Amino acid sequence: MPRNWLAATGNSPPVADALRQALAIAGKDLAIEWRTKTALVSSLAFAILVLAVLFFARDPTAVSALDIAPGALWVTFTFAAMIGLNRAFLLERENRAMDGILLAPVPPGAVFFGKLAANLVFVGTVELVSLPLFVLFYDVGLERGLLPLLGVTAMATLAFVAIGTLLSSMVVRTRFAELMLPLLLLPFLVPPVVGAVQVTARILAERPLSEVAGWLKLLAAFDIAFVTASTLLFRATLEE
Amino acid sequence: MPPAEPVLRARDVVRRFGHRRVLAGVSFSLAPGEALLLVGPNGAGKTTLLRVLAGLLRAHGGAVERRGSVGLVAHHSMLYDALTARENLQFFARLHGADSTRRADELLDRMGLSAWADERVAAFSRGMTQRLAIARALLHEPAILLLDEPLTGLDDRSSEQVLDVLAELKRRGRALLIASHQLAELMSVVTAVGFLIQGTLRAVEPLGGRDAAQLAGRYRELTARG
Repeated sequence: MPRNWLAATGNSPPVADALRQALAIAGKDLAIEWRTKTALVSSLAFAILVLAVLFFARDPTAVSALDIAPGALWVTFTFAAMIGLNRAFLLERENRAMDGILLAPVPPGAVFFGKLAANLVFVGTVELVSLPLFVLFYDVGLERGLLPLLGVTAMATLAFVAIGTLLSSMVVRTRFAELMLPLLLLPFLVPPVVGAVQVTARILAERPLSEVAGWLKLLAAFDIAFVTASTLLFRATLEE
Repeated sequence: MPPAEPVLRARDVVRRFGHRRVLAGVSFSLAPGEALLLVGPNGAGKTTLLRVLAGLLRAHGGAVERRGSVGLVAHHSMLYDALTARENLQFFARLHGADSTRRADELLDRMGLSAWADERVAAFSRGMTQRLAIARALLHEPAILLLDEPLTGLDDRSSEQVLDVLAELKRRGRALLIASHQLAELMSVVTAVGFLIQGTLRAVEPLGGRDAAQLAGRYRELTARG
């Protein structure tokens, strides 16, 4: 038997500890997703299907691809993301693994940011894979618009993933978690997604971003509001 | 030598679920090196008491004082099926601030799981999962270990391995609180028995040389009173 199997634990500053714990939680979630690929495959299949259906459903003599492209892009991103968000806390329900996390000296904020980081990587991956398909289907030129589009995608994604992470934690103990999340999340998605659609439309039309400065400010405000509110309220979702 | 200061003390702990009082004022204390076996019928509040003591559930009344950290081995393993045994331990060790690789390897070795360290938990038997769950609970060297039915579903060999670990923990001064129906199997480890009936701890009694049959008789006597 090893002599030190009851050895002591280490010490480090609380903020560094919380950051390390958040990274451990994010890393664990991503490792499990990479290994099982259940949510990733579902989300990507869903994204491809939606992009294709919306493209082929339009009448090309009446509606140009560019007219429906912003809406198609954000419908694809948000609903594909929801599949991943649904799974975020189902992982923890399995064998009540969340209890194991809560038994460790982990602040709720670290759990939230760990989950948020993993969800952002997941949703970001789905978006990055979907984007070339979107360009291909809708024949949009992104020579000058790529960076602004990535920027607005990052802003809107942060807002809805933050609130989605909070709501996912809230509904995971309910019987119909997978049904409840979309019902609760959709009203919160409307403002940032409408903003993102407006900005995306201007980017694809190669209009100056100054035309949508108001929407960009609104998206930034939603980022701050949703991340702050979700961080503060997350603790309450962990209590039985 | 004066008796050791308790590391765990519950005072009039009350917990309700809705209008139902599951714990109706539970009081007891536990010192280092003590192992209290908590017995009681199904629904008596044993699991709820362990979850309150571990800090996973809030007490609606009374107080829980802990001197030192708590480890919990519950009905559920609290492990991720998609991760390997080593990955599970490393993850939880990181949360506790322990040297994850070293601690994981030490505990895998101690629990006799080194050969399966890189196997996914989904492929583990009930006994292996339970030993890994105990390893997870010991990652941060807790002063108090709470165990909920630690021998349920284990074969004789796995039970012996778990009992061996519990005996060693007790020798090393850890305080153990074990909720179980398996009186006879745990007699070699425990130092006292608490009878939890309808949310009330009716009695906490040292073994006092009694055997399992005598304790079972005492349990029947207390439960018959309702």
